[in-house]
Amino acid sequence: MSKLQEALAGGKFPIVVEIKPPKGIDPEAMLAPVKSLNGRVTAFSIPDNEHAKMRLSPVAAAQLVKAAGAEPMIHLTCRDRNRLALESELLGAAALGVENVLIVSGDFVNQGDHPDAKPVYDADSVQLLQIAKGMMAGHDSAGNELKGAPRFYLGAVAIPEADPLGPQLLKVKKKTAAGVDFLITAPVYDLTKLQEFRQKLGAGAAIIATVKVPKAAEVEQALQGKLRKVYTLPASVAQELKADDPAEIEKKGAALAARLLKEIKAKNLADGVYLKARGKGELMAAILEQAGI
Amino acid sequence: MIIAERKPFAEIKAALEPYEKILIVGCGTCVAVCLAGGEKEVGLLASQIKLARGQNGKPVKVGEITVERQCDREFMQPLSDAVADYEIVLSTACGAGVQFLAAMPEMKPVIPALNTTFIGVNEEAGFYTERCRACHNCYLGTTGGICPVTMCPKGLLNGPCGGNLKGKCEVNPDNDCAWCAIYERLDRQGRLDLIDPILPLHPHARTTTPGAIIHPAYKRRYGGHE
Ligand code: SF4
Ligand code: SF4
Repeated sequence: MSKLQEALAGGKFPIVVEIKPPKGIDPEAMLAPVKSLNGRVTAFSIPDNEHAKMRLSPVAAAQLVKAAGAEPMIHLTCRDRNRLALESELLGAAALGVENVLIVSGDFVNQGDHPDAKPVYDADSVQLLQIAKGMMAGHDSAGNELKGAPRFYLGAVAIPEADPLGPQLLKVKKKTAAGVDFLITAPVYDLTKLQEFRQKLGAGAAIIATVKVPKAAEVEQALQGKLRKVYTLPASVAQELKADDPAEIEKKGAALAARLLKEIKAKNLADGVYLKARGKGELMAAILEQAGI
Repeated sequence: MIIAERKPFAEIKAALEPYEKILIVGCGTCVAVCLAGGEKEVGLLASQIKLARGQNGKPVKVGEITVERQCDREFMQPLSDAVADYEIVLSTACGAGVQFLAAMPEMKPVIPALNTTFIGVNEEAGFYTERCRACHNCYLGTTGGICPVTMCPKGLLNGPCGGNLKGKCEVNPDNDCAWCAIYERLDRQGRLDLIDPILPLHPHARTTTPGAIIHPAYKRRYGGHE
């Protein structure tokens, strides 16, 4: 059983932090937070060609995280692989003892740095959850028997502030029906939105709320009412974060993240937190410190 | 219908460079409707080629002929005679028509004048949009008549991705999110239960190219099994 699964099952309010695989082969910067924060957080999460920008493979990165003595979570995107490649990637992860897998559709290729690449989406995220569940039961998606069934702890994404909400709830319902173990939300700044979403979901998968240190550009866009994201950064919050120096915005952003983290935990608004702080170890450490974790 | 658009003239001009006797063959069906390769467009292209050659002081003979359909042998017979006096044929048909033309006995080399783009509809004069990717397994009956394979750039079969914003698509905010549109229409029709079941993986084996279909009534003629 992964530590994440154990922590969620035990109501231990796990913290998962996101690290950034390099665009290259030097993993030092990616591993810095792993070295400094291991023991204080439950798992280190590794995006899969995030925003359709090519980076080092999550399974390889997960092995490096394990070698550093910590627990990884890999993301697996439907964008870049057909069903054969997805399944062999899952087997590869399992063989290395990686259980936490976050299954995502994946941002479209036009959002990234290889806009002419062929988008795959042979499976969607619901179907990929079913595939992974099937593999745990000992067979691949074509029904062929596996020698040794892998074990996974499977996650998917949920968007609390989706507008319209109906289609999002449909998707989450299907993810739940497919057997998802945990849902990681999009970033939330207005915690009443998280609370309302949770009530709509009812009982089911564990909810891990994303707390994100906003970028200076996002703060600026939010102030101008031009933030085009699947989450909102309320103008009052953006106003608080406003500063001339980006380093100052980051500092205030870290304080905001700490406050959100603390409140989510204190009010039991989620079962755990997913922390996004641009893969910066010191920033994460400061947030955990201020949140009293 | 099949939608296509004319290749940039510079590309056509460069491909025709070595030739002096050019026959342009138009197609009177889909590409005529989408104003890319019908009789009128053949005439325009012929004038453009003559003008360009005139400016370069290079001689050229350009013939024009438009058939009803280049994807149907029935209409292509007259072309066998027409090509005799030419060195090269420039087809303004879709990719299927170009290939059918190029495979005719006695045919001269054929080059395409169009880029074939998609199966789509005539929204308004001069405005065409895609609707179908010919996926061999039509889902429209359960998706409210909106195609998830085509109208969602990711071809997702079980609901929206996380990227839509106020019902607009992550990939191109000018477009509606297909899954928001599917949901909205089925909701309006009181048929949301249709999209509750999880759709299985798409049977891509069926989409192996090149596809072939024999109408059931003709199975015996073409040696298919019933
Ligand atoms: S589901 Fe879409 S792509 Fe498939 S046949 Fe129907 S309209 Fe065409
Ligand atoms: S926003 Fe909607 S249409 Fe666009 S890729 Fe996502 S699900 Fe498909």
